[in-house]
Amino acid sequence: MKASDVMDPNPTTLKSTDTIECAAKYIMEKRYRNVPVVDENFCYLGMFGVNCLLKQVIPKSVLMHQGLHNVSFIHESIEDLYQRFDEVKHHPISMCMNNEIPPVRPGTPLTETLLQLYEMRSSIPVVEKDTCQLLGMISYWDVGEKILASGERQDA
Amino acid sequence: MHNTHQADIIFGLSPVWFSGSLFVLTYVLIVTEHLNRAVIAMMAAVLMIVSGVLTQESAMQGVDINTIGLLTGMMIIVGITRESGVFQYLAIRSAKVVKADPWGILVMLVIVTAFLSALLDNVTTVLLIAPITLLITDTLKLNAYPYLFAEIFASNIGGTATLIGDPPNIMIGSATGLTYNEFLFNLAPIAIFILLVTLIPLYLIWGRHLKAEPELINKVMMYREIDAIKDWVLLKKSLFVLTLVMLGFILGHDYGLQPATIAMFGAALLLVLHCLPHGQEKQTQMVSKALGEVEWITIFFFIGLFILVYGVESTGLLEMLAHKVLELTGGDKTVTAISIMFVSAMASSIVDNIPFVATMIPLIKSMAASFGGSEELIPIWWSLALGSCLGGNGSLVGASANLIVAGFAERSGQPIRFLPFMLMAFPLMLLSVLISSIYVYLRYFW
Repeated sequence: MKASDVMDPNPTTLKSTDTIECAAKYIMEKRYRNVPVVDENFCYLGMFGVNCLLKQVIPKSVLMHQGLHNVSFIHESIEDLYQRFDEVKHHPISMCMNNEIPPVRPGTPLTETLLQLYEMRSSIPVVEKDTCQLLGMISYWDVGEKILASGERQDA
Repeated sequence: MHNTHQADIIFGLSPVWFSGSLFVLTYVLIVTEHLNRAVIAMMAAVLMIVSGVLTQESAMQGVDINTIGLLTGMMIIVGITRESGVFQYLAIRSAKVVKADPWGILVMLVIVTAFLSALLDNVTTVLLIAPITLLITDTLKLNAYPYLFAEIFASNIGGTATLIGDPPNIMIGSATGLTYNEFLFNLAPIAIFILLVTLIPLYLIWGRHLKAEPELINKVMMYREIDAIKDWVLLKKSLFVLTLVMLGFILGHDYGLQPATIAMFGAALLLVLHCLPHGQEKQTQMVSKALGEVEWITIFFFIGLFILVYGVESTGLLEMLAHKVLELTGGDKTVTAISIMFVSAMASSIVDNIPFVATMIPLIKSMAASFGGSEELIPIWWSLALGSCLGGNGSLVGASANLIVAGFAERSGQPIRFLPFMLMAFPLMLLSVLISSIYVYLRYFW
């Protein structure tokens, strides 16, 4: 089996020009953890997800390289967090896209695909070889459903 | 001249020319920063041996184990101590003491930075203070630049005050046998004075314009500094060991204890106290983490440089240069001391002060006979320490601490640019060196 056999070929996508506010509302409403970001040609650019939203509401000095690792003295309210979100909500999502999730190819073997899914702890994009075209997404649920369905067939 | 193998030098090259060229090339490579400085220094050291200028045994004699031991020991102690959260406590407490007044915070952070730089080292200090500074300025919606600028100055001025504050002082102390107390009595008074003087232009340029909204000030006042202390037991152990180490620095010389021995003893004792209550597997993890706090790049940079400079020294090149310097200064000790201070300051503001001081130490030692013995060199050592430490403030690349603060500024989206920084920093650095030269003249030559 290959990556293309377990992917969802019609994934939800965001555009890199969408605002953080708009994207935030969308992923909160649908309870998505990560959504792929594409350009007008459906070329895969990166992922946008809840981690980006968290990053916007935590003080910059905490998340930066060599930043504060001890934050136990900071006591903030939801309003404080919203103030930080408010400052960036009109920015495009491209400002905090995650480019560290490497896409798999449609022909990537299933075990290698699963290992990447495990290591990335996120849904992973399937991108056409030699182009950046997004072909689909593979989530835990897609794979899990297929494994369980296989078990049910064997039992039957 | 030291134990050398100059007859075996490769390609029949003159040892003076070979070592001199290798030295200049190493400096150029360090300045251009195309390759990691530790790698450059290690390669230069190995070439000194492979070429036959030094044998492996003589190269090892060139490595100042006192400097290496002191740096490593202090890095381990600070690495463990920081886990307790005490440094964050100090920074937040200092901001709250002045009721989160923006100028008051700047002054307090300057004092804390200078104090910690004198007691620990300035690189570690800015690594601890800069993130808190960014948090506070972010909360107060203030530009972080004046604060970070002031902290760069404070770290280099504070580091000037003690033997362990800045690598040049560690090297000078180790090479000359000058004690912790001698550094403290001779350099701390002028460092405190310079720090206070530096605050005046900072106030006139930025301080008087720093204002924050009352509700934002309240947010800073809401920080609970006591919560920053994550491990009270570790805090007690760390403070106990730090106190012992400081006492050791002050009293140890009378008992023949070198600073490296004291620092390594402190590191070992803190590791014992830290690890003792835990099982073997956990202990391995804790020791690994503590040793991981050591900046091995800096340590290997030092080792490589020591061998390189020892190689150059062994050929007699530095002695020749020392005679040239004395010719230029007319053999006058006052002129030599003040010239060395200004040249050190200029050089340290452009290049790393560690290789510069490593080169200057044997060069100045070569002047002992001309001035009537090594005791007569003491004011020159203070001039070198003041020039090389304060010179680090002259530009963004003048000291490692500067680059670390610049990195934080960049990551916070408020970058410190090279030229604007230098336009402000260089005149301020010159002012501090001018004050130091007057101090050296009045105290040692008047």
